[in-house]
Amino acid sequence: MPEKIKKTGKIKYINKLLTDKEISCVELTQKYIDSIKKENGIINAYVNITEETALKTAETVDEKIQRGEKISLLEGIPMSLKDNISTKDVETTCCSKILKGYVPVYDATVWEGLKSQNAVLLGKTNMDEFAMGSSCETSCFGGSLNPHNTDHVAGGSSGGAASAVSGNMAVYGLGSDTGGSVRQPASFCGLVGLKPTYGSVSRYGLIAYASSLDQIGPIAGNVEDTAIIYDAISKYDKRDATSSGSRVKTVDTLNSSIKGMKIGIAEEYFDGAGEDVIASIKKAIEAYESLGAEIVQFKLPSLKYALPVYYILACAEASSNLGRYDGIRYGYRTDNYKDVNDMISRTRSEGFGKEVQRRILLGTYVLSAGYYDAYYKKAQKLRGSIVKSFQDAFTECDVMLTPTVPTTAFETNYTSKDPIETYLTDICTVPVNIAGLPALSIPCGFDNKGLPIGMQIIGKSFDDAKILNAAYKYEQYAKDEIYKELESGVRI
Amino acid sequence: MVGKDDILKIAKLAKLSVDESKIDELTKDMGEIIEFANTINTAVTNVESEDFDEINNIVNAFHQDEIAESYDRELILKNREGGLDGYFFVKRRSEK
Repeated sequence: MPEKIKKTGKIKYINKLLTDKEISCVELTQKYIDSIKKENGIINAYVNITEETALKTAETVDEKIQRGEKISLLEGIPMSLKDNISTKDVETTCCSKILKGYVPVYDATVWEGLKSQNAVLLGKTNMDEFAMGSSCETSCFGGSLNPHNTDHVAGGSSGGAASAVSGNMAVYGLGSDTGGSVRQPASFCGLVGLKPTYGSVSRYGLIAYASSLDQIGPIAGNVEDTAIIYDAISKYDKRDATSSGSRVKTVDTLNSSIKGMKIGIAEEYFDGAGEDVIASIKKAIEAYESLGAEIVQFKLPSLKYALPVYYILACAEASSNLGRYDGIRYGYRTDNYKDVNDMISRTRSEGFGKEVQRRILLGTYVLSAGYYDAYYKKAQKLRGSIVKSFQDAFTECDVMLTPTVPTTAFETNYTSKDPIETYLTDICTVPVNIAGLPALSIPCGFDNKGLPIGMQIIGKSFDDAKILNAAYKYEQYAKDEIYKELESGVRI
Repeated sequence: MVGKDDILKIAKLAKLSVDESKIDELTKDMGEIIEFANTINTAVTNVESEDFDEINNIVNAFHQDEIAESYDRELILKNREGGLDGYFFVKRRSEK
C-alpha cells in the first residue's frame, strides 16, 4: 500500500485529488478504462465495460467541481458491479449463457443509491455462473485470473470484482456472498471483503441464487474504504422483504480501542488449514494480544454439519429461484424442440452450465416427495443448531477469528476437480451465511509462493461496525506486512 | 445410492434434459454429492428447541397491500424473443 494511501484510504485520497483539482474525474476514469483495456485480455475481470456511461458520469462530477459544489466521498470514484447486480439498460448475465442478452429495466437498490451519488461504473465483473462456484471458472466467459500470480484463480464467485481491485482496475467493487463469494476472492487477491449482516443491505435487484443466504458486500483495498462503501449501501429498503438496514455508521467507529475485546478461536475452523495459513493467523492472534485483546478458546461441534446443511439449503433455494429461466420471457432459447415442455428442458440444459445443473438437480432431489424430511427439513433443524451454537459462542467472546479459506488461491483449471473437494474449501465461510452473521476477510500474510492469506473476523448480527473496527486496528498494526501493491493497472 | 433412473426422474422434475452420453458421469457425481449431503443424518437434533424460525424469533413482516405505479408491460417484456401485444412467439408445432 503506497504511503499516501496508508494515511487515509484510497477513497478519501482520490476524493481529495478530485476536490483539489489535481486530477479531473474524466482523466481518472480514462486511466482506469485504458488500464482495463490493456489488462483485461489476460485477467478477465470484466465481462462488460461501460466506458460511455463512465465518462459521462465523470463529466458530470467535473462540472460539479468546477461550479465549486461539494462532492460526496463516493462521487466520481471508479468502481465495478458483479454481473448478477441488475443495472438498468446495461446487460446483466450472471455469466450464464441462459441470460446472455438480458438487459434489466430497473436498477438494483445498491446501484440506484450509488448511481445517484455519481459513482463511476466502469463495468460488470466476472463471476461463477449464477454465483455457483469457488474459482470463477464456471463463468460462461471463462475464469478470472489472480493478479498476484496468473497461474492461480482469483477465487469465486465474485472473482472478477476481486481481480479488478487487486489489479488496480477499479477502486472497489460490489460482489455478492451466499457462502463466501465476497470473502474468499478477497482472501485470494489480498483484499478486504465484507459479507454484511443478513438484511442490512437490500437484495432488491440482486439476481437470486439462495435468497435466505445471499447478501451483497464490498471488496476494497483497505478497511476504511470497505466501511465507507458499507455505510453507503446499508439502508432499509421496502422492496426487499428481509431488509432491516444498518444500525450505525461504521466509519465513525473505526480506530476505537479494542483493549479488553474478547476474540474467540474455535479449533474446528483450523482443521485441514495449510501450515502457512495457520502460522499467519497465529501471528495475527499475537498482534491482537499486543493490542490488548483477550483470546478465548472454545469448540463449535455443530460446524461439522455446516457444509452439507449449506449445500442442501442453497441448492433447494436455487432449484426454485432458477425455475424462472424457461427461454420464454428472457434470455437464451433453444432452436430445436418438439413442444413447449421440450423447449423449456432443452433451453435449460443448453443454457445452464454443468455446476448449475448439478445444484438444481440436488435441490430438486432434497425437495422431492420422500426425501424432503430426510434432507431439507433436517437441514433446517441443523441450521437452527448452528445459529444457536454461534449465539452461545458470542456469550463468551465479542468477535471470532478464523482463516477465511484453508488454502491460498487454487491453481487454474480448478473446477475440473471432484465437486465435493471444491465444496470442502468453503468450510470456514458458509457457517456465517447459515447464521446470517457479518464477517469480513482481511489479508494477514503470504504463503511460500507469495500468494495472499486471508483472515476472517466474524461478529454477532448487526455488529458489522465491531468487526470493521477490529480489522482496522489490526490493519494499522500490521499494514506493511499484509498488503502488496501490484505494478499493474492504475497507480495513483 | 442413486441410479440412472433416479437422475432421469429428478431431471424431469427440474425441467432439464439429460444427454445420454453424460448420464453415467452425472449419476456418479450426484451419487457422491447426495452421499455427502447424507452426513447430516448422523446428527442428533432436538426437534423442539432447534427450529430455525423459533431460535431467530422470525415473524413475517406484513405490510398493507397498496397499489403502486409499476413498469409498462411492453418494457418488462422487451427481453423476450419476438412477441407482440403482450404475446410470446414460439414455433408452430401443429398443422392447420
